[in-house]
Amino acid sequence: MLKLDGVTKKFEGLVAVNNVNFQIEEGEIVGLIGPNGAGKTTLMNLISGTLKPTEGRIEFNGQDISGVAPYDVCHRGISRTYQIPRPFPDMTALMNVAVGVFCGKNRPNMSLSDAMLDASHFLEFVGLFGKRNMLARDLSLFDLRALELARALATTPKFILIDEVMAGLNQSEVTIAIRLIRKIVEEFHVTIMWIEHIMKIIMEATQRVVVLQYGEVLTSGLPEVVVNDPRVIEAYLGEKIA
Amino acid sequence: MVKIEHKRALLVFRFGDKKFEWPIETRYWRNPILGVAFLALLPVIFSSHPDILSLIATANIYACIAIPLAWQMTGIGRLNFGPQAFVGIGGFTAGLLSIHLGWGPWATFPIVIITGILFGLILSPLTNIAKGLYFSLVTLILPLIFLEITYYFGIFKGETGLFGIAPMISIGNIVAELIIANYFSLIMMVLFLFVVVKVFDSRIGLYSAAINDDEEVANNLGLNIKKWKIICFVVTSVMITLAGWFSAHYFGTFAGVTYLQLPFMLKILMIVMIGGRGDVYGAIYGAYFIVILEKVLTIFGTANYLLFPLILLILLFTLREGIYGIYRKHKYREYYPTIRVRKR
Repeated sequence: MLKLDGVTKKFEGLVAVNNVNFQIEEGEIVGLIGPNGAGKTTLMNLISGTLKPTEGRIEFNGQDISGVAPYDVCHRGISRTYQIPRPFPDMTALMNVAVGVFCGKNRPNMSLSDAMLDASHFLEFVGLFGKRNMLARDLSLFDLRALELARALATTPKFILIDEVMAGLNQSEVTIAIRLIRKIVEEFHVTIMWIEHIMKIIMEATQRVVVLQYGEVLTSGLPEVVVNDPRVIEAYLGEKIA
Repeated sequence: MVKIEHKRALLVFRFGDKKFEWPIETRYWRNPILGVAFLALLPVIFSSHPDILSLIATANIYACIAIPLAWQMTGIGRLNFGPQAFVGIGGFTAGLLSIHLGWGPWATFPIVIITGILFGLILSPLTNIAKGLYFSLVTLILPLIFLEITYYFGIFKGETGLFGIAPMISIGNIVAELIIANYFSLIMMVLFLFVVVKVFDSRIGLYSAAINDDEEVANNLGLNIKKWKIICFVVTSVMITLAGWFSAHYFGTFAGVTYLQLPFMLKILMIVMIGGRGDVYGAIYGAYFIVILEKVLTIFGTANYLLFPLILLILLFTLREGIYGIYRKHKYREYYPTIRVRKR
């Protein structure tokens, strides 16, 4: 479904992502891990079109999307969430999701009321329907994470890029969030690439892990194999995960 | 064939694969209608006071600049400090055509629109190139450059400006002409209000609000922000250009010193901010308030130059939601659907 072929991103002298090659198949949940500054978010920005790769090719469903504008990438079926939630702070939760409903695909015959109805379904799915008329800036961190997922789903994606959705959440919220992401995969049949620092979640929720270091792919494979790889332990984990 | 169906509080018009919705409940349109009816009575009440009639027309013209500016501020997510450049473009285009070719207001009208579109398109890349303060600075400089041009080239007649521009209407009775022209200004303002309110209640309003809040996120959600910012900038610029066209034909004169200098820009921005922090209806409250305040303060003679900005500054700090905000706080009702946008 998604294929990265020699993707490189240079910021003048700094090589943030260097010759990254990997492939993600339809229906997979792939974890992307690595130490801070390894280039995970840069890679996500390259896939979502926010940044243009200096070299290499990104293919989505057989089409070259390297250098394609972010809105066009979204229209082709790739949606994303942000490490630090970026809602439209002065709009209600319902309106936030309605933007995704309207813009994710070309919907010439949809009125504002139709979009709000659609948006309320997505809000209900993530458990935010009761807070639909609250301004986004008044929502808690957990609610904002849920709102980002609802907004990403509203664009009717085939592939979702999730950036550290668990950061700053407590244990019970983490459990709910994992359940929610699993529910998303089951009901919407989307493929997920998930950046996460909490290894237990990666072990529990993903089917495959790609490890980045200094902008390059260190290794990739099944989570239990990757966490026992001495190179990964040395570069990222520091100690062996049971 | 147009199909009409009644759906709860809405009338739905279907034309091919297009759909338009129209709210029919009185609460959606009662207050605006009452407000417009009140404004429509003013020219009749003050028909024997040409100075007050001129004041009303001025307020309407100011509102015609402030209403599209309120949309533009949201739709491009940037603060335009030079809307008067487009007032100048409209006024001078109408004035020059009228003086040199003898054209009347309805002949200059399409040319003014074309000129507005042209200049709007030329300047529209700024909405994507210049961000935040840089956009404000560039737009601040534009009318000042235009002012210098009006001094440099004789055709614009420098400080005296153009005069002898064809009036809006010519029927031989000055009072009747004033009243009719006054109604023209009101019609134009109501038309602008109608268009912008409809836009804000549509998907374009939602796009504008998203761009205003975070254009990068909007882009990632599938919104072609470059396209929508250009559309918004060009359409609002044309609307502001029409305010210049009307001004030139209403007063019969048009000078750069009146419209292109900083005090005029400050007045427009004050209307937008004091009226209702970028609220569309607030722009009308703001326009009438500023015009009345300016007139009342003339009784203080030269102290007026100090008092006028002082009062505005006090209001700017004390009325956080603008004049319209006072009404909205007391009479707030959750109309469906609403888009809440807070201006920074």
